Amino acid sequence: MKRFLTSFIIVFLFITSCQKEKITIGTSISDNFYVENNGASMRVLVEGNTVSKVFIVFVHGGPGASAYFYNTDYIKSNLGDKYACVFWDERNAGASQGTSNGKDLTLPQMTDDLKKVIQVIRYRYGQDSNIFLLGHSFGGLLTSSFMTTDNNQSMVQGWIFADGSQNYPLNDSLTRQMLLINGQQQIALNKNKSKWEEIVSYCNLHTSGFSFDESMQLEEYAEAAETYFDEVTKVDYLKLFEKDAINEDWPLTSILVNYLYSSAAEINKYIAKEEFSSLLFKVEVPVLILFGQYDFVCPKGLGNDLYNKISSTQKKIVISPISGHNIMLQDEVLFCNEIDEFVRMNK
Amino acid sequence: MKTGIIFRTTLTGLIIFILGMPCFSQSDSLTIRKDVSSNLKIAYNSSLIYPGIRAGIEFPVYFVSLKKTIDSENEKSILKGRFISINASWYHHPDFHDNLYLTAEWTMRRAKGNGFFTEFSSGLGYSRTFLGATTYQVDDLGNVKIIKSAGYNYAMIIAGGGLGYDFSNKKEIQLSVFYKFDIMGMFPYNSTIYFRPVMEFGIIYKPLYFIRLSTKTRNILK
Repeated sequence: MKRFLTSFIIVFLFITSCQKEKITIGTSISDNFYVENNGASMRVLVEGNTVSKVFIVFVHGGPGASAYFYNTDYIKSNLGDKYACVFWDERNAGASQGTSNGKDLTLPQMTDDLKKVIQVIRYRYGQDSNIFLLGHSFGGLLTSSFMTTDNNQSMVQGWIFADGSQNYPLNDSLTRQMLLINGQQQIALNKNKSKWEEIVSYCNLHTSGFSFDESMQLEEYAEAAETYFDEVTKVDYLKLFEKDAINEDWPLTSILVNYLYSSAAEINKYIAKEEFSSLLFKVEVPVLILFGQYDFVCPKGLGNDLYNKISSTQKKIVISPISGHNIMLQDEVLFCNEIDEFVRMNK
Repeated sequence: MKTGIIFRTTLTGLIIFILGMPCFSQSDSLTIRKDVSSNLKIAYNSSLIYPGIRAGIEFPVYFVSLKKTIDSENEKSILKGRFISINASWYHHPDFHDNLYLTAEWTMRRAKGNGFFTEFSSGLGYSRTFLGATTYQVDDLGNVKIIKSAGYNYAMIIAGGGLGYDFSNKKEIQLSVFYKFDIMGMFPYNSTIYFRPVMEFGIIYKPLYFIRLSTKTRNILK
């Protein structure tokens, strides 16, 4: 019995030692921690230069994708060397854990989660930390919600909007319009004619007031559309996955089951009608808008809408000529250079 | 109408098959009851590349010993064992979580006379995870605190199969080595089920006197 108890105590001490607070101030650090909020423990990875006191918080897409995919070698070497990159797995995504928390997978709850993640970053690395938010895809909607809620924007020094969406109904209209125009041009050029004919035919039949199913179909066509252009940088996602999954201890089945759950969850029907364009006038902090020329999922028209609606005096919009929906992977040089310049000017 | 006939035929066939399962044609059987010692089991419990350990006890439930005479010198024997095992397991996935779990499993083992065996098991359990890093909580006033031993309780299911070799048959060493592949599921994990593949590589020690249970053994001679 004594032996059993001793073994149990040793195992327990070993396990709990993994939860010892580790806060690293350095130029090439990797800190991991969790933020618990209303039934979800969300994993946060801080990588790069914490001496800089600048934290770029990546707010991933989905809902249900993971921040793991944004932590590329290029970003580590070209942003992480100067600033700390914060990869936050939203609730029900990536390595985030919990029990019966599906009912709390809502945009207001996630907005509150983001606020608490920022508060924990400040608690760990100092209240004088400079926070920059970077929203990609659905992360654009989430950061729009954050920036237009209460006085949240006072917590950040700047907002980076990369291939994001602040207005899903407008998003659907712009996607349809872009598919239709490009589709007709490509058919005339006899490029991927049969594929484009199907898309154009669908867009001609479905013109406005899109239902959830129509919205999903448009997104499916949009994801495929960018692959029909030779100009768009092709990303080998499998290679990216193979290289990092083992080296960085990705919890693969957690990433998978969270993605499957979140991508089919009720939140998707709710956010399909969500828009923040009417509230963007509240935004006064500096904003950098990055879009891919061939992003059909979140067309650059959303960037123009954002640019025109915000009250920020310091704002910039940049379009990558070689990128689709994932500018951070498809045009890494432009992505990192623009962010570096933006952060240097506003930190 | 046609569907009804097919259904009735299938059902009748299934009942005959199930009821006939214990029957062995042209066989003599003898059932005896004797005290059998429980087994101790310890294994490296790797969650693919992540380390862990598993220890358990296998309580014998019943055995079926099948012996078939091939010719005057050769005899083929198979021992089917059924066990209830109680296991305590742990694995460590850096930065993600540590998982301590207890399972109760039904194990079906089929051993050949040469010592090789295969087994299949399934069971239920309880899991307690410990998150892989410091966990913070923030109240509405913005006060931050650390949660001690942060983690979650989950219900578990586990199923798997494997193979091994029993040294006691030939060398009278009361040990077996085995390899097993399991799939474990924890729920409700973020309102869904979390699956994880687990591999076991370990030994089963069969002490002669350890929690001896009165166990039925059915000997069948063909």
